[in-house]
Amino acid sequence: MKAKSILLVEDNPDDVVLTMRALAKSHVANSVDLAGDGVEALEYLFCTGKYAGRDPCLLPQVILLDLKMPRMDGLEVLRRIRADEKTRLLPVVILTTSSEERDKVESYKLGANSYIRKPVDFAQFAESVRQLGLYWLVLNEAP
Amino acid sequence: MTDGLTRVPEASGFRNRDDYAAALLNVVGDLSQEKSRLEELQRASLNILEDFAGEKVRFEETQRAMLNLLDDFASEREKSEAANRGLRVALESLRLAKEDVDSANRELEAFAYSVSHDLRAPLRTIGGFSQVLVEDCDAQLNEQGRDSLHRIVAAVEKMGQLIDDLLNLSRVTRVEMLRGPVDLTRMARKIFEEFRKFHPERQAEIVVADDLVGQGDERLLSVVLRNLIDNAWKFTSQREKARIEFGAAPAGGGQAFFFKDNGTGFDMAFAGKLFQPFQRLHTMRDFPGTGIGLATVKRIIERHGGRVWIEARPGQGATVYFTLAGEPEEREVR
Repeated sequence: MKAKSILLVEDNPDDVVLTMRALAKSHVANSVDLAGDGVEALEYLFCTGKYAGRDPCLLPQVILLDLKMPRMDGLEVLRRIRADEKTRLLPVVILTTSSEERDKVESYKLGANSYIRKPVDFAQFAESVRQLGLYWLVLNEAP
Repeated sequence: MTDGLTRVPEASGFRNRDDYAAALLNVVGDLSQEKSRLEELQRASLNILEDFAGEKVRFEETQRAMLNLLDDFASEREKSEAANRGLRVALESLRLAKEDVDSANRELEAFAYSVSHDLRAPLRTIGGFSQVLVEDCDAQLNEQGRDSLHRIVAAVEKMGQLIDDLLNLSRVTRVEMLRGPVDLTRMARKIFEEFRKFHPERQAEIVVADDLVGQGDERLLSVVLRNLIDNAWKFTSQREKARIEFGAAPAGGGQAFFFKDNGTGFDMAFAGKLFQPFQRLHTMRDFPGTGIGLATVKRIIERHGGRVWIEARPGQGATVYFTLAGEPEEREVR
């Protein structure tokens, strides 16, 4: 069975490069799909807009979600994900720059599964993967 | 006239003049009685009129008094209405002032949030890609290139720390306080333990007095203790055997908590600068830091209605004292 993809929702191209690199360094074999902001992320998840042709059954294994984005921010995306029967159990890892307590509190309140401070580094990502019980994600080196 | 009176009119029915005269006299007598009764009546009426006039004067006086009262009442009412208006105006300006403060706070919060996210984003890019160079291109770099890169990474870390500290400083002013008794002894011992674990190579004698309890917000007070312990730990780093003591001492009739160290100390001439953000008394090389720790401590202590001060001598260590409101004799301190 083909490993499900990881959905990275991030608007800053520098952060996209750094996050991709951290994932590669963590030996993540899953393909990474990129959504440039919150609206695009929802289109991807609910197969609307530019993702209208996507197979709705193909949900990502995990969503790495930036908080501060144009059009629709990460908290709103999280709220919509948790409000929909189809997506409400998806693991969501919040990526953020901020050390602001209220972001953390808000995102956990809305049902975020984990929290990684950017730039995403290998150690933090590995810790989140461990916390979420997503060991299978790090499977490049496994036979 | 007499003739007329003494002649008996034929139709009168009197038999003679005498009868007639007697009857006339009777009538006259009756008339004079009537007259005196009338006069009495008139006098009585006059008396009544007089009385009435007196009553009227009194009534008018009463009326005037009542009008005065009404006047007074009206002016009192005006006064109280004016006072009410004044009160309303005062309340309104209070409400406006509160709105101003609230909006200033919201602005500050938005500012801090923006600093937290936006200022850090480019910094993250610099740091992130410098790290890429360190990890992936080390072999291609010569010594100077490697040194430059390490300086960039260190500066990024420093700026990240500055942003964090600044945000913490603004946060301690914004967060809501929940006051209660806080076991400072336990809190300090726990923080000291963390420092020991983090620097197992350090020789330090740590003395924490038993039963130190302060009234305040637990989280904010832990920020105070952490900052003060961090300072004491840092400024004793060049001592062969560091000694840091946390205790309480009488101060101005109340009690002050203190952290006493045998560290590098400083000249008291510069003590005033210590509680200002970004003010440092030592070179970065000797003692790294952002210069925000004590400013943060001061804000927290002041939010608790307390006071913080330092006594030190160069080369002889420093003692930081702080008080917390709620200890009643507090107000008499200096």
